[in-house]
Amino acid sequence: MGAYFGFANSKSVIMAKVKIRIDGKEVLANEGANLLHEARLNGFDIPGLCYHRKLTPTGACRLCLVKVEGQRGLVASCTLTVKEGMNIVAFDQELEDTRRFLLDYLISEQNTSYDDTYTDELRELILRYNLDKAENRFFKPIKHEVELKIDDSSPVLTYDPSKCIKCFRCIKACDEVQGKNVLSFTQRGLNSYIVAGTGTWGESECDGCGECIQLCPTGAIVEKPHRDTISISKVEQRVRTTCPYCGVGCQIELLVQNGRIVRSNGVEGVLPNDGRLCVKGRFGYDFVHSPDRLTKPLIRKNGELVEASWDEALTLIASKFNELKQKYGPDSLAGYASAKCTNEDNYLFQKFIRIAFGTNNLDYCTRLCHASTVTAMLKSIGDGAGSNSIEDFETTDCLIVIGNNIIETHPITATYIKRGAAKGMKIIVIDPRRTPLVSYSTLWLQPRLGTDVALLNGMIREIIVNGWFDQNFIENRVEGGMQAFSDLKDLVEKYTPEVTESITGVPAEAVKEAAKIYATAKTAMVATGMGMSQQVTGTHNVFSLLNMILITGKIGKERCGIDPPRGQNNVQGATDVGCHPTMYPGYIPISNVENRQKVAHVWGVPFESLSDRPGLTTVEIIQAALQGKIKGLYIIGENPMISDPDLNHTENALEKLEFLVVQDIFLTETARFAHVVLPASSWAEKNGTLVNSDRRVLRVRKAIESPGEARQDWEIIHELAARMGKPMPKYRDEAEIFDELARITPIMAGISHARLEHQGIQWPCPTPDHPGTPTLYLDKFNTPTEKAKLFPVEYTEQSEQATSEYPFILNSGRILYHYHTGTMSRKNKVLTDFVNKPYVVMHPNDAFKLGVKHGERVKLTSLRGSIETQVRIADEVLEGELFMPWHFTEAQVNRLTRDELDPYSRIAPFKISAVRVEAVGD
Amino acid sequence: MLKEYRIVLRNSGLIDPENIDEFIAADGYRALQKALKSEPIGIYEEIIDSGLRGRGGAGFPTGTKEKAAAVICSDCTRYVICNADEGEPGTFKDRVIMETDPHTLIEGIAIAAYSIGAHKGFIYIRGEYGLATRRVQLAIEQAYDRGFLGKNILGSGFDFDLEIRRGAGSYLCGEELTLIESVEGKRGHPRIKPPYPAERGLWGAPTLINNVETLANFPAIILNGAKWYRSIGTEKSPGTKIFTISGDVNKPGFYEFPMGVTLKELIYDVANGVKDGKPFGAALIGGAAGTFASEQHMDVPMDYDKLREVGLTLGSGAVIVMDDTRDLNQVMLSILRFFKHESCGKCIPCRVGTTQLYNLLNENLTQGNFDPAKVYPELIRQAGMIAKTSLCPLGQSPILPLKSLWEHILVSQIANQ
Repeated sequence: MGAYFGFANSKSVIMAKVKIRIDGKEVLANEGANLLHEARLNGFDIPGLCYHRKLTPTGACRLCLVKVEGQRGLVASCTLTVKEGMNIVAFDQELEDTRRFLLDYLISEQNTSYDDTYTDELRELILRYNLDKAENRFFKPIKHEVELKIDDSSPVLTYDPSKCIKCFRCIKACDEVQGKNVLSFTQRGLNSYIVAGTGTWGESECDGCGECIQLCPTGAIVEKPHRDTISISKVEQRVRTTCPYCGVGCQIELLVQNGRIVRSNGVEGVLPNDGRLCVKGRFGYDFVHSPDRLTKPLIRKNGELVEASWDEALTLIASKFNELKQKYGPDSLAGYASAKCTNEDNYLFQKFIRIAFGTNNLDYCTRLCHASTVTAMLKSIGDGAGSNSIEDFETTDCLIVIGNNIIETHPITATYIKRGAAKGMKIIVIDPRRTPLVSYSTLWLQPRLGTDVALLNGMIREIIVNGWFDQNFIENRVEGGMQAFSDLKDLVEKYTPEVTESITGVPAEAVKEAAKIYATAKTAMVATGMGMSQQVTGTHNVFSLLNMILITGKIGKERCGIDPPRGQNNVQGATDVGCHPTMYPGYIPISNVENRQKVAHVWGVPFESLSDRPGLTTVEIIQAALQGKIKGLYIIGENPMISDPDLNHTENALEKLEFLVVQDIFLTETARFAHVVLPASSWAEKNGTLVNSDRRVLRVRKAIESPGEARQDWEIIHELAARMGKPMPKYRDEAEIFDELARITPIMAGISHARLEHQGIQWPCPTPDHPGTPTLYLDKFNTPTEKAKLFPVEYTEQSEQATSEYPFILNSGRILYHYHTGTMSRKNKVLTDFVNKPYVVMHPNDAFKLGVKHGERVKLTSLRGSIETQVRIADEVLEGELFMPWHFTEAQVNRLTRDELDPYSRIAPFKISAVRVEAVGD
Repeated sequence: MLKEYRIVLRNSGLIDPENIDEFIAADGYRALQKALKSEPIGIYEEIIDSGLRGRGGAGFPTGTKEKAAAVICSDCTRYVICNADEGEPGTFKDRVIMETDPHTLIEGIAIAAYSIGAHKGFIYIRGEYGLATRRVQLAIEQAYDRGFLGKNILGSGFDFDLEIRRGAGSYLCGEELTLIESVEGKRGHPRIKPPYPAERGLWGAPTLINNVETLANFPAIILNGAKWYRSIGTEKSPGTKIFTISGDVNKPGFYEFPMGVTLKELIYDVANGVKDGKPFGAALIGGAAGTFASEQHMDVPMDYDKLREVGLTLGSGAVIVMDDTRDLNQVMLSILRFFKHESCGKCIPCRVGTTQLYNLLNENLTQGNFDPAKVYPELIRQAGMIAKTSLCPLGQSPILPLKSLWEHILVSQIANQ
């Protein structure tokens, strides 16, 4: 297949250049590449409508016909691959006459009207061949025998069959690019048209990613949002930036008209997404124009938040924080950084907390998602980040996806997985829920909630018993070598397949099969998610996983490793740039004197002014606030009143604070508790960088102006530092902030904004001429000994179990259409058109026993609190288990969760809460 | 009267097609036994030597296709497919084979499979062929019971499974690559060619795909040898051909003759002449994707090459005879309607062109004062462009009847007016 070419600066196969002749001119082309593509790259603008670089050739439009020496007749160049010495005629009278004939034929059955709301490749060709004027057209218009009905049922697009040229691009976009297979043809010949599912788009399985819209060459599939306002000819700016949602870091192009974003397209030809987007990336930008945006600072006066001037707000904040610092000491203050802000914002924020507050009480929501993963990975292999590049999800031989609903939470990473599956990659899904990926998998293991260590130890035992471990790897790259291995072997001895089955509920045979597939694959990767990390045994879960990876040697080589896809666009970057209670930018421990000296030098502050006391973590800060130890809190772009565990507890803590500052773009659930609320800028109003799940530092670029008096986050932080008497140097722009951060962050030392102009760079990138690092640990692990470490761990029962009073175990997580606490995603019509109500998923047998019906309202109660929501009956969960998305403020799952913490990483067990369910009358 | 020479149809009407014992008694499955005792290479070389050419209409040397599928890779999965999607108007030879002697076909398929190293085969039968499907299905079951199909056939160590796939009414699914898509469970759209099926066919594997009549020739060739086969028919088209004669003749039906028989012999000796004693008008040879022959072609020996020399095609061997009262423009219109209806819609020239051709002829015919000299050159111009630019053979077909009707018949009609 010549469709997939890879990218500049990636590790795709480099093709040999060969000489071919086109129209008598000698050109260099990539051997084996698509001839049409290569001809166009060389400036021969051969027309064509059905070919697209990302798709297998179709040969349907026939416009790219050429003559090839040695072949009879005309040949569609999109169906040929480049061979040395080819001699092609791309343009002559006969070919051009033939193309005009075909185009004339095509428009005799087409509705060629154009409303300037989309890019029309057909129209461009009509103009090129002078067929826009009726008198130049030879053929009479054809009347269709069946009525071509517009399908307007989708929330995201309109399909107009009268403009459809049947080029297959949408079908292949859905199938080959996104792996969804929703579209096909119905009817035949002239009467054929595209059908979604078995009827209309709205009723189909289409999830609204819009890949078909992006690849449609005509006005047949056009996106619906803003169609009444957009005029392609009036678009003022096309701004390349990075998607504001999950941690994949998709590159998007924002179209700006009248100062507003009117469309978002995927950027073709660059990683990580190569033009692909999900429904959020394509349709989730409207929140920036929401009337609910904060436009003025608010100060609490007589219990009410009222508008105030910036000067008043900043003066108040500076004096209040300084007052608390003097009265209770620096450690009475704390800050929450933001996984949605840029590296530059977060870098300045941690610098602010450390020099203006003088504390390390600094954390953010990463503590609530992958803290345990990062803790285990740091100890075992040395870096708390994904070891591989996103393309490896397509090319590895075997992939374990554990505790990760990757199709919904990282939809574009999932496209690579689905493409791999289509080529024969083996996928093992380990999840208590039947996630959408199960349909693509070779094997699905469904362990009971919270039994992961037992399952993984069972698999490890099976691997050892069958001799599938990699002794050479263990001896050379694991600390303690075969002795350490032997300790692990002893520990897992009791986890026989039968014992494993009795603990996890996974059939012994499936445990064996999974172990075999993974361990005997030539290359294998693991994607681990919140299902593993958000438990009180989170760190142990990941240790256990790493043990399996290490003894099989499935890391430290190409297409092998472990990747925890990150949940928010900059959750990786915020830690990378030092928003961490015990680490400076670049994972440099604060405890070391030398490190503090170096940082103090770059920041131009006295070394003694930097605290060496480890700071508190996210949930600990709230707990300390409740105990009266934390008095003042500065939160940027975080919403703990939805995201923290045990919200009743969080609420009490926030109420107890003497001074709370919230800097956000909306008046969030948390901001309602604030003493001062500062209006900040959204991602679309910022310049800067962020880091995605595969350590790729990516640019964010400003597309629009902030509303009202809203300001840039970094400028607010900078100003506050000055007002607190700890001024920072003047920064000309965000690039200059990045330069400072690069100076103290060794993993990014070689990166600058200028280097990121075309596409991202994966850290570590120590020098300006370093290309970045797609795969970690190829030579050594990033531990002090340069070897990886095994941490044998025992399975322990979950501390909260189902009881007769609370007979269900409630799991929580995300869904495709919403994001985090819903502050952004729920302000987009498209996304709320798909889903806008909370629900809890219950197994049919449980529903039968309880006598509740699909859609009925129920009350869920745990030891912590209770909420009401609707029941959705589905067998995607096990009996006795429930699942609920946590995005919805009207049914806050975290009223039910607890703040008991994993002892190593201080993460909370969002995935496991014992609850009871009662039907409530309407 | 001219005597038939039956190879493919040797058992037809003589044995009970539902009784395998009668087939076996008539030397059935002896060719398979013989084949299994020789090397596969010997089988396809025998077929190459026999000069057997594809009876689906294209006339491509069968053994060459077999060899290509056999040598392309070692130790890979291969398939054999029998194309029984007989959709060409006026053609019913494959139906007769399947209805009257299904075991000959199964034996032929098994030999072909052995020769290329395929262990799985499919017979893709036209959906409308109910009786043929039932008889082939029954025959397959009987063949399994007797060990002619399945594991370790006749103790040779060779395994071969065969099953039926049914078409669903699409003419285009008779086109080999479209048929393969259909067997894969996909919509009947043609694939880009090359790669040819022998290189990448069913599920991407090397695939031998042959017409029913072609494969039904295998047993006789294997039993009697290439030399014997070459002694029948013409030099470049050895063997026999089943002709299905219909239309305005006194005795329509199916007849197997050595290649080289003439149209005159078929119409007057075999089919007992034009009905009601009317003068001969025209004959459409090879179905809708065929060509119009006129009186002047009566003595042309019918084989692939001789017909091509005079602007005709043998195609499937269908002969639709029209007396001189038939309105050939109306016949042409119904052929164009057929193409318009059967175009899959994948490529522009065929999707749009088949309708444009139909509309052009139809509008001119309904307007009155029809002047073929004005209309046909334009029809032929467009059909030529369609043929030149289309993705698959369907778009390459309308030019055949249009051009032959115009050149062989209408031009001289105009001249004689």
